[in-house]
Amino acid sequence: MIAVTELRKKRGENTVLDGISLTVRKGEVAAIVGPSGGGKSTLIRCLNALEPFQGGHIDVDGLKLHAEGGEKTPKATLLALRRKVGMVFQQFNLFPHMTALENVMSGPRFSLGVSRAEAEKIARPLLEKVGLAQKADSKPDQLSGGQQQRVAIARALAVSPSVILFDEPTSALDPQMAAEVMAVILDLAKEGQTMVVVTHSTEFTKRAHTVHTLERGKLISSVSI
Amino acid sequence: MNAAFRWLHQLAPFLIFVMPLTAFGQDPPLRWGGDKAGGAPFIYGNGDVGFEVELANYLGKKIGRKPEFKQCDWDTIPDTLKLGHIDIALNGLEFLPERENEFPSTIPYFIYTLRLIVNVSDESIRSWEDLKKPRKKKLRVGVLRGSFAQRYMEEKFGNDVEVIPTKEVDETFLLVEERERMDATVQDSPAAAYYVQGGRRPKLKVVAPPAHTGFYVILTNPKDVELRKQLNEALKEAMASGELQRIYEKYGLWDSDQERLAYHQIRPWPPVEGEKVEALGDTGISLSDLARKIAWAAWMTIKLACCAMPLAILLGMLVAIGRMYGPWPLRVMLTAYVEVLRGTPILLQMYVWFALIPNLIRAIGGDELASWFTAAPFYVGIFGLAINYSAAEAENYRAGLQAIPKGQMEAALALGMSPMTAIRRIMLPQAIRIVIPPVTNDFIALFKDTSICSMILITELTGLYYQYKWNREIVLELALTIGLIYLFISYPLSLLALRLEKRLARGTHA
Repeated sequence: MIAVTELRKKRGENTVLDGISLTVRKGEVAAIVGPSGGGKSTLIRCLNALEPFQGGHIDVDGLKLHAEGGEKTPKATLLALRRKVGMVFQQFNLFPHMTALENVMSGPRFSLGVSRAEAEKIARPLLEKVGLAQKADSKPDQLSGGQQQRVAIARALAVSPSVILFDEPTSALDPQMAAEVMAVILDLAKEGQTMVVVTHSTEFTKRAHTVHTLERGKLISSVSI
Repeated sequence: MNAAFRWLHQLAPFLIFVMPLTAFGQDPPLRWGGDKAGGAPFIYGNGDVGFEVELANYLGKKIGRKPEFKQCDWDTIPDTLKLGHIDIALNGLEFLPERENEFPSTIPYFIYTLRLIVNVSDESIRSWEDLKKPRKKKLRVGVLRGSFAQRYMEEKFGNDVEVIPTKEVDETFLLVEERERMDATVQDSPAAAYYVQGGRRPKLKVVAPPAHTGFYVILTNPKDVELRKQLNEALKEAMASGELQRIYEKYGLWDSDQERLAYHQIRPWPPVEGEKVEALGDTGISLSDLARKIAWAAWMTIKLACCAMPLAILLGMLVAIGRMYGPWPLRVMLTAYVEVLRGTPILLQMYVWFALIPNLIRAIGGDELASWFTAAPFYVGIFGLAINYSAAEAENYRAGLQAIPKGQMEAALALGMSPMTAIRRIMLPQAIRIVIPPVTNDFIALFKDTSICSMILITELTGLYYQYKWNREIVLELALTIGLIYLFISYPLSLLALRLEKRLARGTHA
């Protein structure tokens, strides 16, 4: 469902990604590991077009992203691709002016154009799923880091993405909170949610289907378990 | 050498400089104050042409002092005289009995009348009585701010027409010519004779017989008894020798009225009560008489501020979004927009919207097109304030948007929102919170900047002050009252800004 071909990205003189090719099948849980600065986060940020790249191309369910200077990706394709590809950030990035519920509703409402009432019908069960039904009306600054990240996961799920990208989802959390969040992610994996997870957690890599190791911009190994 | 002598020795270079000055002190220049912005035929060019210039030169020669023109603002010439920056005030200043004590006048040098001037195409105003006829909309009649004409019109026609004080004669003529914002003007006879009857303003005509006859006099400081005597002698001589007639004829100002100068010049001066040519009733105004006008002016100030600010915020928001997220040509244009508006005085901008642009359009596209771009002063005022403040608001919002963590935009885009939706739903609501304190502060500044509108015929608080500051009995109270009104409105706004700032600070750290 995701095919990355010969992906190259430069930042100034530095080559950040150097000819990465990999695929992610439907239902696959892929972990991306490797030392800091190896290009892991950059790679998944390229997958939903938050970062441009200079060589190669990306195909998500037939939607193509091209290198800078090549064929231009139409805006509609870009929006469609981002709706297919959800993302959970290291720093949560919840919208601080909205309650937890409104955060989860924001995707359906403002991306899919669903009515407020419909969006709420989507959002409440998701909050329950991540164990935060009782925090629906809390603002992000009233939630712990772990709770915020669980709301962020519910928010990503709310637009029913085909694949979710996790960018070091637990590294800004203390161990106990990290465990809470990891439990939610593992539940999703069990349900067959396709996901690409940048992580340092060995607990997680043990349960992934594939582990890709990135070092200095190169894919040095892809191991299927 | 004793100490005293040594001191003197040190002072010597000084004395060499000072002594010639005091030696010529016998014949100091005759510094005469006027306003060349008042224009022809009084004083114009570089302050070196005009019948009053020639009169000043003549007087200077007669009394043996070199005339030296000092540029003043017309409505503050007497104040400048009082401060000692000038020796005499000579610029169409009317004889007013109530200012004789403070500024004793010379015998008159000109007899003026008030003339009613309208657009040549206007057939509805043929007499002074026509001003009183009931109409759908009150006639707007321009008068020179602080002039006797202003007081005359307010007293005699104040209930029938809208009296609009202007800063310059020229401006008033332009407005009557375009007929959009002014229907008529009342001016002193020299301006009417020179411009309108002299054919220099063919789009205007003088209608109705002259109203009110008064004297132009030279104002002096009370202590200068000798100077007054010298000037009076010189004026009498100018009249007797025909020099005055020669000067006035050159500007088309000599008429039968002036022949009566000779009579008034030999009567006791200032004239005794019964002999006043024509006087207004009670010219004394108290602050309580003005209460209604002050209330209206305050209301006008509030209206201007409250209409302009939301517009400025809206415009500023759009400009900020364009500068942050727009394509580069738009960014360049908007940066220029902000810098031009921030880098030029608001007063100048106001004149551009009010006069320059309509006149430019008239020059290019004629009257028809110009009428589309000639709005009532009130709307021009709101527009000018809003445009000017939109630049400041744009900068506020740009700073606000930049203060939002980068991850917010990314999270919104990653959810599949279009950039416009992300800006509207995610970025702006956060930016608005961040910029509440600076925007509130700008509102206070704008509230005070509404005073600029007094320059484009709007009677708000400052405009009201300008209109009545000639009245020396109430000017201090009036200034104080108006200042307090500004303060009473802006101070609560300051407190509000402070509270919002504190609340916001708590919000972000919680």
